[in-house]
Amino acid sequence: MRISRRTFAAAAVALVLPLSACGSGGDDGGSTDASGKVEGDITFQTWNLRANFKPYFEGLIADFEKKYPGTRVKWIDQPAEGYADKISADAAGGTLPDVVNVSPDLVAPLAEAGLALDLDKAAGKYKSEYLDGAWASHQVPGLSGTYAFPWYLNTGPLFYNKSLFEKAGLDPSTPPKTYDELFADALRLAKKSDGKVATLANVPTIEDFGRYGVQLMNKEGTGFGFNDAKGVELLSKYKELYDAKALDPQALTATPESSGKKFLTEAVAMNPGSALDLGNFKKQAPNLYKNIGITDQITSTGHVNMYVMGVMVNSRTKHTPAAVAFAHFVTDARNQMSFAKKVAIFPSTAGSLDDPYFTKEDGTDETRVRIAAAQSLKNAVNYTPVLFSEQMKTALRNEVAKALQGKESPKTALDNAVKACDQLLKQQG
Amino acid sequence: MAGVSRVRRQLPTSPWLFAAPGLIVIGAFVLYPFVSTVVNSFTDRRTLIPGRFVGLANFRELLHDDMFWTGLRNSTLYIVGVVPALVILPLLLALLVQKNIPGITFFRSAFYTPVVASIVVVGLIWVWLLDERGLVNSLLEAVGIGRVGFLSDQWLLLLSAMAVTVWKGLGYYMIIYLAALANVPRELHEAAAVDGAGPVRRFLTVTVPAVRSTMVLVAALSSVAAFKVFSEVYLMAGPSGGPAGEDTTLVMLVQRTGTGLTGRVGYASALSVVVFVVTVVLMLLVLRADRREET
Repeated sequence: MRISRRTFAAAAVALVLPLSACGSGGDDGGSTDASGKVEGDITFQTWNLRANFKPYFEGLIADFEKKYPGTRVKWIDQPAEGYADKISADAAGGTLPDVVNVSPDLVAPLAEAGLALDLDKAAGKYKSEYLDGAWASHQVPGLSGTYAFPWYLNTGPLFYNKSLFEKAGLDPSTPPKTYDELFADALRLAKKSDGKVATLANVPTIEDFGRYGVQLMNKEGTGFGFNDAKGVELLSKYKELYDAKALDPQALTATPESSGKKFLTEAVAMNPGSALDLGNFKKQAPNLYKNIGITDQITSTGHVNMYVMGVMVNSRTKHTPAAVAFAHFVTDARNQMSFAKKVAIFPSTAGSLDDPYFTKEDGTDETRVRIAAAQSLKNAVNYTPVLFSEQMKTALRNEVAKALQGKESPKTALDNAVKACDQLLKQQG
Repeated sequence: MAGVSRVRRQLPTSPWLFAAPGLIVIGAFVLYPFVSTVVNSFTDRRTLIPGRFVGLANFRELLHDDMFWTGLRNSTLYIVGVVPALVILPLLLALLVQKNIPGITFFRSAFYTPVVASIVVVGLIWVWLLDERGLVNSLLEAVGIGRVGFLSDQWLLLLSAMAVTVWKGLGYYMIIYLAALANVPRELHEAAAVDGAGPVRRFLTVTVPAVRSTMVLVAALSSVAAFKVFSEVYLMAGPSGGPAGEDTTLVMLVQRTGTGLTGRVGYASALSVVVFVVTVVLMLLVLRADRREET
C-alpha cells in the first residue's frame, strides 16, 4: 500500500486544522442588538450555586422558558475553586457560555478583550431598575460602558468566638467595630492566652486598606496609592499584631480554607465568612456554634465593603436578545427578592432594600442580623478595585509578608507593592 | 524511468498508518504545545489578548525579576536536597526488602503505598501533621521541645516539602533498584565473601558498581522531577508560595504568572523555556558524568 504526497498533505492539514482552534476565539460573534425576538438555546453559568439552590434555579429557568416560548436555557455550575481559571480557559477557547455569573474583577479583563456585552448600549433601558452604585460596579476604568447586570450584594458577616473573648476578659456582646478597637482587643487576647490564641488568621488585603481609610487608587484609575501614610500606619499595626502572635503565625501562607479551619479549631477568635458557614459550624463544631457571635466587618470609614455579583452577557452569543432577556430576568427585582428569601444575600434592585423583609423586626436573631446588614449595605462601598488582578493580589500579599517578618519596613514594602501593581496595571493595557 | 519516479513520489502507507495514532497524540499534546510555548515566549501575549512579537524582551525581563531568581534558587535547592536522598535511600530500602523472608511482601507493599496515593491527599495529610497545632507539634511540645513553625518558616517549609517528595518517591525508585539487584550475580557476592569482604565492603565493591547505571538513571529522573516540583510545595506553602513567596519554585511561578484572566502567557512561556533548557542541561550533565566514570 502506498500513499501519495497529496494524501499525506491532506492528512497533515486535517491534523493541524483542529489545533488552530486552540487559539483565541475569532471575532465572529453575535450582535449587540438585543431588540430582536427572544428565542434560541442559551447556556447559563453560575458560580458554585447548584449544591444549595438547585430547585431555585430550575424553577427560575422554567419560568423564563414559559415566558419566552422558543427559548431553552442550559444551566451549568462551576465550583468556587478555580472559577477564574475556568472562565479564562473558556474565554480563550471560544467556549464561554452565553450568560455568565461574574464579579467586577472577573468582568474587567473580559470587557477589555471585547468578550462582555456593553449593557449601556444593549440593555440601557433597564438601568433605572437597579441601585446606581450597583449598576456602576461593573464599569471598567478606561472603557466606556457597563459590562454586567448587578445581581446580589453582600457585606459578609464577621464571626467571632464569644468564649475566647470572655476568657480574655473582653465583653463578648461588644465586639470590635473599628480597626483601633480590633487592634486593642487582639493584643489583649494574645497576651491573656500567652500567644496561644490569635484574633486574626489573615494578612491585610486591599479591602482592609480601603476600610482603614486608605486611598487605594488615583481618581483616574491609572495608578495605585495605598502606600500613603495611612496605609503604612495600618501595616505597622499589623506588624505589632504579628509580633505579639495576635495575628496567626501561619497567616502569611493562609488561604480562606485554612483560616476557616483555624477558626473551627478555636485557634483564632475572629474570621470573615458567609451565611452558609453557620450550618458548617453547627455540623462540624457544635461547641463552637454555641459560642458564635456575628458582627459587621471591621471598618474605620463607617462604610463596610460590599461584594457585588453580576451576570454578564457574552458579546459573541448567537442569541443576543435571549441572553440579555435571561440575564435581566435573573437579576430583576422579583427574582432577586425571591432569591434573597432563600439565602442571606441582598438585592441590587432599586427599592428592594426598603421591603419589610429587610426593615421589620420579628424578634428573631436572624432577622436582626438581616436588618442590620441591609442597613449597612445602604452606605456600603465596593472597595475592591475592578482592575486589581490576581497577580496584583500576590504582589501585595508578598510585600505585606516581608513587612510582617521584619525583612522590610512597612513603608518600603508598600512602595514596592505599589510599584509592582502599577507595572502590572501598565502591562494589562 | 517514469515508473521509477512515480514510485519515488509515493510514500509507503502501512508504517504511517501504524504510527498515526501515536503521531497524532504526540503532535497534538506534545509538539504543538511545545512549539506554541516557544513562539509565545517571544510575544507579549496575555490570556485573552493575542500577543505582538517582542523579541527577547521577556528573557531580559526575567533576568531582573527577583521572583525568577527565588524560583531558580528553590528549584536548584530542591535538586540538592532531594536527589542524593532519592539515589541512596531507595537502594538501601531495596536491599532490605530484597530478602525472601516471611512477611516481606507486606513491607514491600507498605513502602510502595505512598507512590500510588494521590499527591493532593498526601500533601494535605502532611499539612495537618505539620500544622502549628498538628500531631508533630503536639508531640514536640509534649517532650519539651516546643512548637516548630514547619509551615510558617521559609526554610523549614522547603525542607518539609522535600521530605514529602523523598517519602513519596522512595517506593518508586525502590522498585527500580529491586529489578537491578535481581541481575547482580550471586557469585560475585560469594567470591567477595570468600576473599574476606564484610557486608559494607561487599555493598561498596559489588552492589554499587553493579547497579551504577541504575543509580545514574535514578539521579537523572529524580533531578528532572525535583527541578520541576510543583504539587508538594504548592500544597504545603499555599498558592502564594510560602511567606512572601520565598518558597516559590520555577514551575509555580509559571503557573502563577501565566494563568487566570490577566495571565501573562508570553512571560510565563519564557519562564517555561528556561525550565526546559535547564532540564535538558541537567540530563546532559548526568549522562556526561556517567560516561566520564565509565572511561
